[in-house]
Amino acid sequence: MADSDELFSGLYQAVLSGDEDGAARLATRALDSGHSALETIERALIPGIREAGDLWEEGEYFLPELVTAAQAMKAAMAVLQPVLGAEAKSLSLGRVVIATVEGDIHDIGKSLVATMLSANGFEVIDEGAGVPVSRLIERAREVDADLVCASALLTTTMPRQRELVNAVRSAGLRAKVMVGGAPVTRGWAEQIGADGHADNALSAVNVARTLVGHRAAG
Amino acid sequence: MRPADLLSRLQSGPLILDGGLGSMLIAAGLAAGRPPESWNLEHPGQVEAVHRAYVEAGSEVIHASTFGANPPRLSAAGLSGMCREINAAGISIARRASRGDSLVAGDVGPTGLLLPPLGKATIEELRASFDEQVSALVEAGADLISIETMSDLREALAAVEAARATGLAVLASMTFEARKRGFFTIMGDPLVSALRRLSEAGATAVGCSCSVTSSQMLAMAKEAAPLLDAPLAVQPNAGKPRLTLEGVVYDQDPSVFASDLAAMVASGARLAGGCCGTTPEFISLAKAAINQAVSP
Repeated sequence: MADSDELFSGLYQAVLSGDEDGAARLATRALDSGHSALETIERALIPGIREAGDLWEEGEYFLPELVTAAQAMKAAMAVLQPVLGAEAKSLSLGRVVIATVEGDIHDIGKSLVATMLSANGFEVIDEGAGVPVSRLIERAREVDADLVCASALLTTTMPRQRELVNAVRSAGLRAKVMVGGAPVTRGWAEQIGADGHADNALSAVNVARTLVGHRAAG
Repeated sequence: MRPADLLSRLQSGPLILDGGLGSMLIAAGLAAGRPPESWNLEHPGQVEAVHRAYVEAGSEVIHASTFGANPPRLSAAGLSGMCREINAAGISIARRASRGDSLVAGDVGPTGLLLPPLGKATIEELRASFDEQVSALVEAGADLISIETMSDLREALAAVEAARATGLAVLASMTFEARKRGFFTIMGDPLVSALRRLSEAGATAVGCSCSVTSSQMLAMAKEAAPLLDAPLAVQPNAGKPRLTLEGVVYDQDPSVFASDLAAMVASGARLAGGCCGTTPEFISLAKAAINQAVSP
C-alpha cells in the first residue's frame, strides 16, 4: 500500500538522518496503523541503520552521524520493544548479555551491536561500559544467557576479553562468547579461545545467529 | 618559552620531539589499565629513565608524563583531587631528565568526556578541566604546552584557548585518518581546515599525532604543509598496535619510520617526533635521517 510505503520510508529517513523525535513518532504511527513491530523493524529500522553503517564504511558518515542514527533507531525501538515482546515470545533467538569491559568507557560500538541484536530478535541485557568480568558472569548465570558479548576498544583492555572467556569456561556456563571492538582481530579472538568475533554491528548479528544456532544443534 | 621564541627557533631548522612514553612505561612494567601518570608518584625513576633515553636519542622537546592528568580522567582512574600534584611531579621528573638539554612540554590529552551528540559534556566543563591542568603545568615550570591526539575540534579548541591564556608557546595536534574524501578526524573534522582553526585560535604550531603509520602521515604532511601558515608537527605511531598473548606489538621498522619522517620534514613539517610504540631508537634514526636530508 502506498501509505505504508510512505510511512516506512519516512521512518527509514528519520533513522538515517538521526531524527530521534521523528523516529519515535513514526514508529508510533506504524503501530497505530496496524503494522506489527517486527514489520516496522524489518522494513524501516534495519534498512535505515544498515544504510547509515554503509555510509560510514564508505566515508560519507562520521561518528556523530552514525551515533545519531543509532540513537534515532533506539528511540523507535523504545516504542516498538514492548509490543515486540508481546507479539511473540517465541521470537526470541536467544538471550544475550553484552558490555564493554572494565577499564574501557567506550560505549558506542557496543550499544550499536546491542541495538542491532535486539532489533533482530535477541533478548539483550546491556550492562553498559566499564563492566568487570565477575559482573558479566553473575548476570549470564542469572539469566541463563546463550551468548555473552564483550567489547574492548583499547589494547590495554583487550586482555579482559581473555579473562572473560576463561571465566565463562571455569564457571561452567553454557554461554558462547563473542568479542569485538576496533583493535580486536579474528586472530586475537582465536588466540583467546572466543567462540566468535565480529568487526561491525551487522556481522555481529550474523555471528550471534550462528553461535546460538550451533548451541541449539549441539 | 613564548610563541615568538618557538617560531624563531623553528626558523633555524626542524625541531626533534620525543616518541612514545606510555608504551615505553608499559614495557617497563606499568600494569594494563593503570594510568601512566600514576607512575609520576609511584615510580618517578622509571619515568625519568624513559625521558632521559629520549634526550640522549636527540629529542629537543620531551613531553612530561601528564597526557591523561586532567581532572575527569584522573577521577575515572581513582585519582581525583590529584591534578596539581601529578602534573607538578610530571614536569619536575622531565626537568630532571632533561638536565638542561631539552625543552619540557606539559602534555595535554583529551579529557575523555564527549560532547553532544556522542555524550553530554559541555564546552564549559572541558574548558574548566583544561584550565585546571594547564595552570598546574605552568606553575610547575613547563616550557611550552603540547596538546595531543584530539579527535573533536571543539575539544581541541577549548584546550588551545586554555593553553594560549598562559602566554607559553602552544603545540596542538589532532588524530586524523584517511577516508574516502581525504583526511578527517573520526568526528569528521577535515585535516587542513581543522589545523587552520587551531592556529587561528592561538596555537603556535599545529599537527597530526597518533593512530596512523608514518607512511600514512607522510601523505597528510604533503597535503597540509603547503596550505598552512603555522609550522606543522608530525608524530606518527610505530604502526598499528596489535595485541598478542605476549603483549602489544607495533610492527613498523624503525628505519622506514626514520626515512618517512625525513620525507615529512622535506615536505615542510617543522617539528617531528613519534607517538605510541616509537622508542628512542626510532627518534635517533629519525634525527640522523632528518639531519642528512636538511644538511646542504
